[in-house]
Amino acid sequence: MMWMNVWAVIRREYLQRVRSKWFIGATILAPVIMTALIVVPAYFASEGERSARDLAIVDGTNVLYERVADEFVEGGWTVHEERWRADVVTELRQAAADGSIGGFVMLDQLTLETGEAIMYATDRPSPIRQLTMRSTIARAALEYQLEQRGVDARAMLAGGELRIEMLSGEGSQLDDPAFGVAYLGAFFLYMVILLYAVSVMRATLEEKTSRMVEVIISSMKPWHLMLGKILGVGAVSLTQLTIWLLAGALMFVSGLPMLISARPEMALLAGVAEALPGPRLVLLFVGFFVFGFFMYAGLHAAVGAMCNSDEEAQQAQFPILMLLVVPIIMVLNVIQDPMSPLATGLSLFPLFTPILMWARVASGAVPAWQIGLSFVIMALAIVAIAWLAGRIYKVGILMAGKRPTLPELYRWIRVG
Amino acid sequence: MGDTGFAVRLDGVTKRFGKRNAVDSFDFEVPRGTICGLLGPNGSGKTTTIRMIMGILHPDEGSVSLFGSDPDVTRRTKVGYLPEERGVYKKMKCLEFVTFLGEIRGIRRGEGRKRGLEWLERLGLTDWADKRVEDLSKGMQQKIQFIGTVLHEPELLILDEPFSGLDPINQDVLEEIVRDFHAKGTTILFSTHLMDQAERLCERVCLISDSKKVLDADLRELKASERKGVVAIEFEGPDAWLQGPEIDRVEAVKGGFHLILRDGADHQTILRRGVQSGVRILRFDLVEPRLHEIFVRHAGAGAVGSSGMPTGTKLGTAAAGGA
Repeated sequence: MMWMNVWAVIRREYLQRVRSKWFIGATILAPVIMTALIVVPAYFASEGERSARDLAIVDGTNVLYERVADEFVEGGWTVHEERWRADVVTELRQAAADGSIGGFVMLDQLTLETGEAIMYATDRPSPIRQLTMRSTIARAALEYQLEQRGVDARAMLAGGELRIEMLSGEGSQLDDPAFGVAYLGAFFLYMVILLYAVSVMRATLEEKTSRMVEVIISSMKPWHLMLGKILGVGAVSLTQLTIWLLAGALMFVSGLPMLISARPEMALLAGVAEALPGPRLVLLFVGFFVFGFFMYAGLHAAVGAMCNSDEEAQQAQFPILMLLVVPIIMVLNVIQDPMSPLATGLSLFPLFTPILMWARVASGAVPAWQIGLSFVIMALAIVAIAWLAGRIYKVGILMAGKRPTLPELYRWIRVG
Repeated sequence: MGDTGFAVRLDGVTKRFGKRNAVDSFDFEVPRGTICGLLGPNGSGKTTTIRMIMGILHPDEGSVSLFGSDPDVTRRTKVGYLPEERGVYKKMKCLEFVTFLGEIRGIRRGEGRKRGLEWLERLGLTDWADKRVEDLSKGMQQKIQFIGTVLHEPELLILDEPFSGLDPINQDVLEEIVRDFHAKGTTILFSTHLMDQAERLCERVCLISDSKKVLDADLRELKASERKGVVAIEFEGPDAWLQGPEIDRVEAVKGGFHLILRDGADHQTILRRGVQSGVRILRFDLVEPRLHEIFVRHAGAGAVGSSGMPTGTKLGTAAAGGA
């Protein structure tokens, strides 16, 4: 009986939201449109430019072709070498006119000295392609020149390497530090927790603004109503996140290779794919989201119950908002030094945990026991918040008129 | 459940909002199976009383019992409650909405849909089943609310001003449904400030004025006991026959006179005297006191339709005090 009415509220919240235009727009269309915007032009481009990307390279130096060929291919061109001979230019011009090649590049002694090369093309390549080509050729020339002096130019130009030897031996098995994943993930967590917690607040206000509250509260316990609302919105949020994550994964698994083959100048994106978090991090992300959502949803439900309109609630949620903003301000410091006592301490304060512990986990070696402890602390916080919010909700949901002052709020909690 | 004969019982209930008594030492009972009207002008405490019965407010003094016990959630789900502040979930479809209201009171969804469809058909809203509630007119929304109130076939119907906002045709429809429920044995308590409606529907009435109970009785008995003996007459001829010990006074009214009889006087004596005196009697009519008059007689003329009454207790002050 009790679970039947909670279930009814969950179902109502879920279906109302999932069927709304907003949800369909944000969840399904956004990734579809984004994917389509990138993939469709890329697809057509790949069809149209296939011949234009067939390049002949005339290497007068005899050392540059092998150095540039791989990078040209990686960038999406098809290349073959043409030997230097007297009327090679005339022949290749003819081939380009026939359409059997898209153009050709001349590399000679001047290229080795100054990085300057000539490209004959039927279509002017886009500026980004020109840039890629230019830097590939110049780097090849530089590499060659340095190697003549006994320098491993390739390794140095790749940015060198810093090998870390862990003295403690602890955590060395954890993921490599990934600044982007830690930082963007923290922001994404902030956004989704806030988004759905505010949805819970709105959902709470719905009974008041629609004046359904008397009918509902006379038939079920306020606590059950609150639980139903939070679980309903939570289910919506997980649905949306799952769709987004799957769409994202699909993009990287099948969309990205297609994209890169079509638009060589976007080859840099391949690097992003390598930096993507593994399943362990994705799982932790979802875990931090779910626990964070329950904490903030409870707080927002209580705020919703205290207020009478969306405007009023937006003002009243300010203190709670600060609890979410503080970790976002701290996140850079935490990522830079994830094992510092300050970072450790802050990340174990339950309301900061989702964002800060995520940042630490994604950017460094956090011992497993700390992660476990943070989830235990969050679980306890959820119980405490549920108790507190339930009491405020019970009194507040039937309340109209002026928002309670702090002493009044205390009284609500005491008697609720 | 069946341990008392009363669906609702209030015992010395007082509810204060700030310094003002919204309900003042109120004793009130609704016997099972009756239609009971809670009558009084705006602001007299009707809605506050009903909210206390539904556990939305808690009395400062006294006790409220529902089906012989505390008005807890389990008992309240056996009540069909149509509050004065009527709301709907605007974005829900009509059938879903009424099914949902059934579901939170323990009616499974399949059963709820079936009953919902039957009710929609009965109230001529079948075509609207899959339309959103917000697309309906106010009157139709009110019907949907009513369906939501009765879908779980409650043992007790509590309707706060159910007829307000309905056109006469739909008022009749609703009245008929209320009678049907009564015939099936459902207890009905409704509040109204429309005396005529109460007079037509109620078996029992409870009159309240200015937070206090004025009267609480079976309507038929009340009328019989309140029939002070008023006779409306019209005649042609001299009026000497109107002198007599039975008659307290004579009032001229439109189209004739009202004879106000003394207590215990027999109108038959007067009629005989009139006939003997040879006047031509056109009309000799025993007047039933109307509920309105009874109310005025007990509460004072100022209590009815007084514009100085504070209107509609707001929930806000209510909950703040009722925590």
